[in-house]
Amino acid sequence: MTALLTVENLSVRFPIKRGWGKTSWLYAVDDVSFEVQRGETLAIVGESGSGKTTAALGVARLVGNSGGKVDLAGEDFLALEPEALRRARAKVQVIFQDPYSSLNPRLRAEAIVREPMDSIGTLPVDQRAARVAELFEQVGLRPEQMKLFPHQFSGGQRQRIGIARALATNPELIICDEAVSALDVAVQAQILNLLRRLQRDLGLTYLFISHDLGVVQHMSDHIAVMYMGKIVEYADRLSLFNSPRHPYTKALLSAVPSVDQKRKVERLLIPGDPPDPLNPPRGCRFASRCHFVEDACRSEQPPLTEVAAHHKVACIKA
Amino acid sequence: MTEPLLKIENLRIELALRSGQAPVIDDLSLELRPGETLSFVGESGCGKSMTALAIMGLLPEKVGSIAGGRILFDGRDMAQMNDAQLRSIRGNEISMIFQEPMTSLNPVYTVGEQIAEVLRRHKGMSKQAAWARAIELLDAVRIPNAKSRVSDYPHQMSGGQRQRVMIAIALACAPKILIADEPTTALDVTVQAQIFDLLRDLGRETGTAIILITHDMGAVSEMADRMVVMYAGRKAEDGPVAPVISHPRHPYTKGLISCVPHLLAKLTEQRPDLTEVPGIVPALASFGADACLFASRCDMADDKCRSSRPPEVAFGEQHSACWKADQL
Ligand SMILES: Nc1ncnc2c1ncn2[C@@H]1O[C@H](COP(=O)(O)OP(=O)(O)OP(=O)(O)O)[C@@H](O)[C@H]1O
Ligand SMILES: Nc1ncnc2c1ncn2[C@@H]1O[C@H](COP(=O)(O)OP(=O)(O)OP(=O)(O)O)[C@@H](O)[C@H]1O
Ligand code: SF4
Ligand SMILES: [Mg+2]
Ligand SMILES: [Mg+2]
Repeated sequence: MTALLTVENLSVRFPIKRGWGKTSWLYAVDDVSFEVQRGETLAIVGESGSGKTTAALGVARLVGNSGGKVDLAGEDFLALEPEALRRARAKVQVIFQDPYSSLNPRLRAEAIVREPMDSIGTLPVDQRAARVAELFEQVGLRPEQMKLFPHQFSGGQRQRIGIARALATNPELIICDEAVSALDVAVQAQILNLLRRLQRDLGLTYLFISHDLGVVQHMSDHIAVMYMGKIVEYADRLSLFNSPRHPYTKALLSAVPSVDQKRKVERLLIPGDPPDPLNPPRGCRFASRCHFVEDACRSEQPPLTEVAAHHKVACIKA
Repeated sequence: MTEPLLKIENLRIELALRSGQAPVIDDLSLELRPGETLSFVGESGCGKSMTALAIMGLLPEKVGSIAGGRILFDGRDMAQMNDAQLRSIRGNEISMIFQEPMTSLNPVYTVGEQIAEVLRRHKGMSKQAAWARAIELLDAVRIPNAKSRVSDYPHQMSGGQRQRVMIAIALACAPKILIADEPTTALDVTVQAQIFDLLRDLGRETGTAIILITHDMGAVSEMADRMVVMYAGRKAEDGPVAPVISHPRHPYTKGLISCVPHLLAKLTEQRPDLTEVPGIVPALASFGADACLFASRCDMADDKCRSSRPPEVAFGEQHSACWKADQL
């Protein structure tokens, strides 16, 4: 296996204005490293505000102020000049959560799907219409639906348009940011099956963000668990779900209600709220809410350390 | 068996559409017993919130109306009550938590003022007494430092805290019934777990019966005693949670359970495709048809399903409205 994406020490920060002219920096992603193998799915999970979206979009330079090193299919992404970046963008596309607001309501479905090809110029102009037709078929939409406007589609169909648009430039990496969260369960199943079929057929690599751990369990090969801008645990699917090691991951998994009667886990409630992201604690960022905390946790940040094959944890007690 | 606290009989709610009247709730009957948690599940647009709003007497004005049936609360028919009578029940004996906590709290008042206001209106409490009670309630819903947080404005709180404030308001008058419409949809799972724990404890301590509206079968199986599966304004199936989930008697229930990837006790390499229920919920205009409204999406459907509405069949305490329920 080869890595399609190698991220080293990625940090993404946002300027936050507080009071008169004073700017502080919010490190939404703070010194994060990971790899994604070609054809695989890396899921990113963690609570709201932990930096999942920012990490994924930061990789593609679609957000904020990034530092570190990102190698995507042999291209040093963070170092690209604007024109090279525009062309390289063909390799990474995003499917957003909200199929309602992410599609231009005034464009017909075919124009929406075609748009990335036009702006990046991946295909000769005379071949683009045929490519649009092919994409419609791939995502399970009918040819006559190409002429319709977004409001004439159901939520699931709109998400299919979003997927077709993301596929238009033959990307290698697709970022799915809560791509099924707004959908009803029956439609969600259709879209998840479609994403997996496309991955098998086209060899796609996914960065898959979801707050639904059942969905993550179904879709992922590896999982990165984020807490306050840091990866606190990184593992393959079986290791993470069957033997989580970080206290935050354990609490997260124990919080998920399930229909599986055998899955009677003791619930580990996380007390309190996360600390102020503008003023993160010096040691482990989870220390203030952790059941297993000891003095050493508060003095130094535990590094992400390999504890078993394909399994890294940032906790001194793991 | 204890007397039901709430009994809905053959309820029919019609909405005015441009094309005429459509039954958004069609012949719905159910019972809620004291202290129990009943869950409504179903896809978007199936009529879960409409049922809740009907119980609250809050149907959208001029659009929705009760066209038949009874809603018996403590033996009185709420469908026949006037606004004043409903107001005295609403927020007092029956209260509701809405889907989006930010839009249902008023941004210009502190959370303490908003809780106190409910107590003064329904219980006639003095300003000081209501304020003191507001602090107790915030404490009861586990807001740390209730004494100082009581003067916070909603925007100063996290999403989970705002939802807990909503619960505090809903519980202010010690209602007999609490209706929670997707109370945790916008929240992190760890916060959801806190809210569910809270609701469970409150149910146990105060005997409040809870109607929990959700689309999450995991939540249903952890939280509820009985469940009602709604489809296109009708009850597809109902019964105690454990048997309904382990042996659904309606193809729709079966689809809802098997199309979702559930967290398993022991994960394996196996990863079969998810079961797909093709199609979507029919448009409101076709809700009244004399047919099984699920037929267009059902892999067991035949001509009978498409031409006459299936009656309810009982399997012990479980009921299913499907012509082929006994084959499932
Ligand atoms: N454009 C921005 N400007 C300033 N701060 C931002 C911006 N975008 C995100 N942030 C902050 O960065 C942090 C990480 O946000 P991010 O959206 O990546 O979280 P997330 O894990 O995707 O959360 P969610 O699950 O809610 O989508 C948060 O503290 C957020 O408030
Ligand atoms: N104010 C309204 N005017 C007209 N139609 C409405 C109104 N509110 C709801 N409806 C329609 O009534 C039907 C039932 O809606 P309801 O809100 O009860 O669904 P629900 O099961 O709660 O769905 P969700 O899971 O999306 O909350 C839907 O078809 C909806 O479009
Ligand atoms: S009545 Fe017929 S169409 Fe309806 S759910 Fe049963 S088998 Fe399917
Ligand atoms: Mg996000
Ligand atoms: Mg609703």
